[in-house]
Amino acid sequence: MSSEDRKHEVLESVSSFMNSSHFLSRREFLLVTGGIILAVSSPGASAKEAPLIIMDNATGVLIADSTRCVGCRRCELACTEFNDGKASPTLARIKIARNLNFGPKGLHRGQRGQGNWGDGLIVQDLCKQCPHPVPCANACPNDAIVVSPSTNARVVDPDKCTGCKMCQRACPWEMMSFDSDTDKATKCFLCDGNPKCVEACPSGAISYVSWRDLTNHVPPRIVPTAVVSPEKAQTCIDCHGK
Amino acid sequence: MERQAEICANIVKIIRDRSETGQLLRADEILVELKSRGIPETQDLDRKTNLETLLEQVLAENPDLRAIYDRNGSAYYHSLESLSETYGRILLWKSEDPLWMIAEVVRKNSQLYPRPVSVDSFQEPPFGLTGEEVVECLDRMAHDKEYQDIARTDTSVGTQFLYSTDHLEPDHAIALAEWFDVGQVDNP
Amino acid sequence: MAKYGGWAGKVLRVDLSERKISTEDTIEKYKDYLGGTGIGYKVIWDELLPGTKPFDPDNKIVFGVGPLAGTGAPCNGRTAITTLWPTCWPRPLVASGHMGGHFAAELKYAGYDAIIIEGKADRPVWLSIMDGKAEIKDARQLWGQGIRRTTVEICQEMGPEPSVAAIGQAGENLVPMSVVINSYSHSAGGVGGVLGSKNLKAIGVRGTGSVRIAGNKEEWEKVIKLHLSLLGANNQHVVPNSPQPWSEHYNPGSRWVASTGRKWGAAAPSIETGPCEPHNLNKIAYRTNNAAFFLGEKAWKYTVRGNGCTACPIRCHTMLKVPGVSTKYGIPEIGQNTCVGLLFGRGFFKTFPDGPKGETAIEACMVGMHLADDLGIWDNYGQVQRDFQMLYYNGTMGRKVPEKEFKAYSWDKYEQGDPTFLFELLPRIANKEGELATALGLGTGYLLERWGIPEQEWLENHDLLYWKLGHPKHHSNEDAGQCGVIINTQYNRDAQCHSHSNFTRNGLPIEVQKRLAADIWGSPDAVDSVAAFAPMNKYKAKMAKWSLLRKELHDSLSLCNWMGPWVASPLRERDYRGEDSIESLLYSLATGDKKSSQELDRVAERIFLLHRALTIRDMGTKDMRTKHDTIPHWVFADPKDKAAFTKGTIRMDKEDIQLAMDMYYEEMGWDKQTGSPTRDAYQRLGLGTVAEELSKRGLLP
Repeated sequence: MSSEDRKHEVLESVSSFMNSSHFLSRREFLLVTGGIILAVSSPGASAKEAPLIIMDNATGVLIADSTRCVGCRRCELACTEFNDGKASPTLARIKIARNLNFGPKGLHRGQRGQGNWGDGLIVQDLCKQCPHPVPCANACPNDAIVVSPSTNARVVDPDKCTGCKMCQRACPWEMMSFDSDTDKATKCFLCDGNPKCVEACPSGAISYVSWRDLTNHVPPRIVPTAVVSPEKAQTCIDCHGK
Repeated sequence: MERQAEICANIVKIIRDRSETGQLLRADEILVELKSRGIPETQDLDRKTNLETLLEQVLAENPDLRAIYDRNGSAYYHSLESLSETYGRILLWKSEDPLWMIAEVVRKNSQLYPRPVSVDSFQEPPFGLTGEEVVECLDRMAHDKEYQDIARTDTSVGTQFLYSTDHLEPDHAIALAEWFDVGQVDNP
Repeated sequence: MAKYGGWAGKVLRVDLSERKISTEDTIEKYKDYLGGTGIGYKVIWDELLPGTKPFDPDNKIVFGVGPLAGTGAPCNGRTAITTLWPTCWPRPLVASGHMGGHFAAELKYAGYDAIIIEGKADRPVWLSIMDGKAEIKDARQLWGQGIRRTTVEICQEMGPEPSVAAIGQAGENLVPMSVVINSYSHSAGGVGGVLGSKNLKAIGVRGTGSVRIAGNKEEWEKVIKLHLSLLGANNQHVVPNSPQPWSEHYNPGSRWVASTGRKWGAAAPSIETGPCEPHNLNKIAYRTNNAAFFLGEKAWKYTVRGNGCTACPIRCHTMLKVPGVSTKYGIPEIGQNTCVGLLFGRGFFKTFPDGPKGETAIEACMVGMHLADDLGIWDNYGQVQRDFQMLYYNGTMGRKVPEKEFKAYSWDKYEQGDPTFLFELLPRIANKEGELATALGLGTGYLLERWGIPEQEWLENHDLLYWKLGHPKHHSNEDAGQCGVIINTQYNRDAQCHSHSNFTRNGLPIEVQKRLAADIWGSPDAVDSVAAFAPMNKYKAKMAKWSLLRKELHDSLSLCNWMGPWVASPLRERDYRGEDSIESLLYSLATGDKKSSQELDRVAERIFLLHRALTIRDMGTKDMRTKHDTIPHWVFADPKDKAAFTKGTIRMDKEDIQLAMDMYYEEMGWDKQTGSPTRDAYQRLGLGTVAEELSKRGLLP
């Protein structure tokens, strides 16, 4: 497939999540797909303007069944021990511990909430591998969140990451992790198609399935506060209109 | 020869697939299955000896595949990967003669572990007898010479256990029944 | 980077009298003792004078975990709490309690391998540990509150994620029969009063750090998967409890209770466990349901799910939802616990209107868990319940308790098996209200002394399961003949050793067990069929030594001895063998300190020997054989007077047991006459200074 054809395909797929019909008349953007950055030019584009990042959808995503979760956190440990060589739930790209005691609504619900000390339900938090616009990637001032070649998962390129944590403030589901040993952000990269958490779960509560858009189905944990740079924001307006 | 290899491969798969559903398979059922799969030349296998020779070969080449025999000497095939010999035998005994099943399970348990077996357990899967069937079996057993080794003991909380005097001394059986019924939970 | 992985590297020392917090280097000071009980015994040996009493400010209490806590090694969730034991009678001696839950891992992520608490705060305090920062905080507003409220209030301050270990009213009131509980329901027995005596209400721990795996991560993954593949169900039972298609063997006593048709009925929607074929590592969590095992089939419909400790795929801590109890008893519908914790309430009653495994019995369990785990009362492995029944039904209670107080209890309700009776009894135990409740809260030894009952009566009564020093047996001759007896002589509370019983109850046919035994202990004769015991032989002594050392090893590494060791497996293709060196594989890779199984067992032996030395020092006698390693009379009796070694009895023979103790002491390299380790035995394990100290006191054989 030529890069031009590929570009069209990606735009088609992205457009299904956007109510815009005049894609191809837009100015400049960067198409980030399969780790390859394609600069797409159109007449009249200004060289000074920052690129818009559009990412091809991931091929897979992790989903979880909270009724099956037994709260053992083996997924968190498999994630970091087998990928990073250390046991570190804080670093884990799947997050159980924070909902374990009281549930996602936190401790003010007491025994009327979820979790071990409420009704027993453990809600696992997983990366949704968001479709465009990808909040963490958009917020990154260094464009360090890129598409992984094997699964199109959104991954942190450690060479570009400066550890500014803007991405942490951008993810509505608080799914960015930060490695205090390396001072870099990290996130779920689907273990290149063989997620360790799925293998590690002793109750079969996690599944690796073909990608679907979960962003409208899972309530956000926070109101994101990251600021997208004005240059990037301008390119959004270009596509989406005023 | 190639044809034969193909047939053998199919037989292996048929047995393994059936075991995964928790069932045994007779030779004639294998043949029906082969035919339904459209394996050519299966008509030659209608001659009993041909199929038996092939099955022997298949079993020799695949250590997970086993045959167990009913009281008439008919073979039933299964794969140990998903259906154990113990479980297979229970299925076979159950289909043949529940009375015989109870006796053989009791004998095997008395010999192997050793331990007596609670009467109630025969109402649980995979035995799945009704209470009435169990009582009827026990009544018949009491009057049948073939089962005179099967004895009963009741625990301190009234649970009935069976054991075989061929393998367990009564006092040992009584103590083990109490251990399984009361002792283990009181000594967690 | 730190030289070793596994360990957090620091031990926290909190002096409550001086309000002083300091840290020590784990590797420098404690590496030879690994962690857990190892650090606990070391601190108590080095820092406590003989004659110290449990509730003295001079007593210390050590919360210790090991290099495997917080890692992905299966079954690493337990914290060992070592101190002078308040219910050890007639004099307190060193012992340890063990809690599961999430405290162990969280402590490591916060940067600590252990917490040493010393002194006494001048008013109620709690200890906050947030990522290496420890603070002593005012707990006056928490004093008088139950464990659950304390936990929630501390979370208000620390956030939703900490593990909080707290005492209830029982611990505050210095009731010896009291616990500390972390994560709402994971208790460690006996130590609540020690924390209460220090005015320490709780420890809240929150850590965002990590535990480094020193070895290659691919190798670590391989060892973890090997270990997972060898797991059975709770107590390492390796066969299912009913015939399953995949299994050649089954055993109705197995805690592997999963089967087609059995469901977590209170999960919404319900979840069928299925047969849980052992190669399917994504089904391990469904194998065990201890509520169903202990409370009967009815418990399935109330099961929400299996719960338990960090990183453990065996979910032995069953969560139940019994809707009826909220209107009937005014308690939450949800309750969770394991084993004796589940049985706490039921154990007091002799009968229930609908039988021992009916609905009322389950309700009694729910009420018991609700009260005991909030008030923080200990059961002493069911001894308080057995004592209660005996003392009530034999009339002692009616004689010893003042008439007015006695009549205030609703004995009609008690006799009918009405769980509301627990609301009368348990809060009084926690609050030391009245003679009955105060006496029960003392623990068996001190209770018998207070009421003038000769210990002899308890030593002779098999039904009471009482062993010595105020404590019951824990897997003795009923499980493993002479090996079990030896093990039960060695500790200062119930032995809590499962190395032997996890093997003998694994559910495999006796011939398979004997084959495995030959591999591990040198002869098939190490094990017998239950109630068909053969006379003593040296392989049983080897098994006893191995069992004890593995228990201490597990308690120090932070592996669960309620699950390990893993020398049998559910795998037919391995001829049901497990892996005797799994502990050494995990330890070597996690820490980077490569030690063979034998080398690690020697470290365990050092730890165990230090426990022995402490016991000798604090008893002030070297004559352990007759003064400490005692055996209750019921072991040598049989209800039908059957002779020892005949089939159908667990009765032991006195002479044979003397031989067993000889062989055991010999196996340990101790002096046979006194049962005390020799100077040489100490020196061999690098405990020369310990030998020197004992020598000065005339306590070497």
